Amino acid sequence: MKLDWNLVSAVARREFLTTVRRKAFLFMLIGTPAYFAFVMSISAGTEARERTEALKELSVLGVVDSSGLFGHAAPEIRTEVQEMPTLGRAPRLPAPAESFRTTVRPYPDQLSAEAALRSGTISQVLVIPKDYLETGHVRRYARKSNMFSGADRRAVAGWLARNLVADRVGDQLAVRVARPTDQDILYVLDRNGRFELKDDRREMADFMLPFAFSMLLGMSIMIGGQYLLQGVAEEKESRILESLLCTVSAEELMAGKLLGLGTVGLSVVGVWVLAGSVAAGSAVGMLGVSVPAAWIAIALAYFVLGYLFFGSIMTGIGAVTNNMREGQQFAVWFTFANFAPLIMITRILGHPSSSLAVGLSLFPPTAATSMMLRIAAPSSAVPAWQIALSLALLAGAAFLALVASARVFRVALLMYGKTPNLPEILRWARQV
Amino acid sequence: MWPRFRRGARVLEVRDVTKRYDGRAVVNRVSFEVRPGEVFALLGPNGAGKTTLIRMITDILRPDSGTIHLDGQPIDQAKRTIAYLPEERGLYRRSRVIDVLSYYGRLKGMSTRNALEASFGLLKRVELAEWSAKQVQALSKGMQQKLQLCTTLIGSPRLLILDEPFTGLDPLNVQLFEEILHERRASGTTVLLSTHQMSKVEEVCDRALMVNRGHMVLYGPVQEIRRHYADHAVLVRTERVPQGVPGVRAVERFNHEWKLTLEPAASPESVLRSLLERGVGIESFALATLPLEDIFVKVVREGLGLDHGVSGPPTVDELPVVGAAAR
Repeated sequence: MKLDWNLVSAVARREFLTTVRRKAFLFMLIGTPAYFAFVMSISAGTEARERTEALKELSVLGVVDSSGLFGHAAPEIRTEVQEMPTLGRAPRLPAPAESFRTTVRPYPDQLSAEAALRSGTISQVLVIPKDYLETGHVRRYARKSNMFSGADRRAVAGWLARNLVADRVGDQLAVRVARPTDQDILYVLDRNGRFELKDDRREMADFMLPFAFSMLLGMSIMIGGQYLLQGVAEEKESRILESLLCTVSAEELMAGKLLGLGTVGLSVVGVWVLAGSVAAGSAVGMLGVSVPAAWIAIALAYFVLGYLFFGSIMTGIGAVTNNMREGQQFAVWFTFANFAPLIMITRILGHPSSSLAVGLSLFPPTAATSMMLRIAAPSSAVPAWQIALSLALLAGAAFLALVASARVFRVALLMYGKTPNLPEILRWARQV
Repeated sequence: MWPRFRRGARVLEVRDVTKRYDGRAVVNRVSFEVRPGEVFALLGPNGAGKTTLIRMITDILRPDSGTIHLDGQPIDQAKRTIAYLPEERGLYRRSRVIDVLSYYGRLKGMSTRNALEASFGLLKRVELAEWSAKQVQALSKGMQQKLQLCTTLIGSPRLLILDEPFTGLDPLNVQLFEEILHERRASGTTVLLSTHQMSKVEEVCDRALMVNRGHMVLYGPVQEIRRHYADHAVLVRTERVPQGVPGVRAVERFNHEWKLTLEPAASPESVLRSLLERGVGIESFALATLPLEDIFVKVVREGLGLDHGVSGPPTVDELPVVGAAAR
């Protein structure tokens, strides 16, 4: 396959410029990260709000104590809630706490307590049966249940624990029984053999870094791939190809498209990473998060090979289908394969050396995103041979996809009407 | 008058080319040549194999056997000097007019600057200069056809292949297209024209090849073809035709002329001489040729074996190649 690189570069230049000049591209470039940031901030804010809302609503707890164990219990529950960890604050500074107070009001029987609950005088009723000590059974009655927070349940449990022992031990010990791990500091061995402080923020960074790395890699591959599919389908649908193919060969056209639209995908992710670094750079720096140069090099290798693999397949799909809608129906399966490892992110991050994680990182369609998850997973040490084998398998698959797609591309570009079946496509792919 | 091509020289040489799909020959041992500066017609009914033949000439498809040379070079090495306007043609609808045209220029090997300059020149020629910054989708259908012609003309190709270029054009634009073809031809461009508009072939083409079911059925200079298929008759514009002119078998009124059907042994020259000897005032005297369209229908039907029960189209050796220049 002899290519005229002047023609390849002319095609690549056009593909790049026409794509980045479109309004839809600018919308995607700015809109996608803005949308993600918006959804994440809404999600984090909602979670924190649900927790505090549950405690705010628990202003008065009616207690029906049939066990007789809580006759001298404290008439008040104090609950302190620490703010959700964010990447914007230094890890070793304590997060500010918010304090909530719940009045405990005893009731002689369940009926009167229920009446008070119905009238809105109290927020919840806690019924402690006679055999509580033996069974641990309690019943709670509430006006409504909070689906997203168990903060009220934890507050009630703490009150029960503290007051069970308050008569027998000192107040300080009773508090500690109720909240045995107010300050739990975990140190974990890092890749360099040193113990590293694992607080909430650090754990968040440990999750976010591989997720972001893998997600960005997957997106950069897919953005280029989607544009390829769109471009080929558009050219085929609008009957442009025949006049183009008179001057430029199908292989040169395909190479130019791969080059131009791959650059688009890489540029998009580059802009996102740059903007993200500027916006969150200081916070990430304070967390002590650093991305080793080797990761960048490996990610680039996975990008090139992964993009060639998926891009070739997308180009082939664009060539054999008659329009964009038909193309998308086939392409969705390959898009799913690329992002499938992110669905199993907790399993891969939790057990980066498991057979599932290793298998996914060696299987070409899932290799790029899986391997980046494994490499960036905390406390993970992926053997070099696995990275080399994964890259080699992906390179082989990319080469096969490129050759087969180029053959299919050449034959299928000028065929309109009936979409070819799989045996036909395989026959074209085998033709020299 | 358009310049005559140099005898013997050839721009395009197609030799014994065959293309099969699923075992069926859609182009079967086709051979012809196109000479410098001529307008050559490629004719044939729908499904005859014209598009496949053109795709092989433009190196979009490779023949199963046979060779195609352009200026003596194998086609895959010389294809950059060909420009092709396909019958089913489109443009990048959401791109600017100037960007589309200069892109085609870049694909022809021009620098960005030269491509832009040439694009503006062409747009000016087809009266689209003021639309250069607009998106293609803002252009009317006729304007888009003019732009499509420009994408073919940019880069001054050596061989222009035009497949039904006049379809859908209004008379003004047909005239513009013809003027541009005249200009290009005058500057040495060779044109291969595929069309069903036989009047255009009679008007602008020097030679023609007709294919049917993948076989060549007719090949030669257009005027020779018409003479070859002419009735053995002459058309005479005169007041009256006397009885008993030697060599004349029948006389009939034909529009404003007289059609004289000749005896098999008589020649048009001897009949003209006899008329003049009898003092007949003659305004015009011409062979009674058939319109190309009638020849097309006749040849296709005969070639298909519809009229005479022939089992299939003739082989290359049986072709009614007309005119010495065709060989």
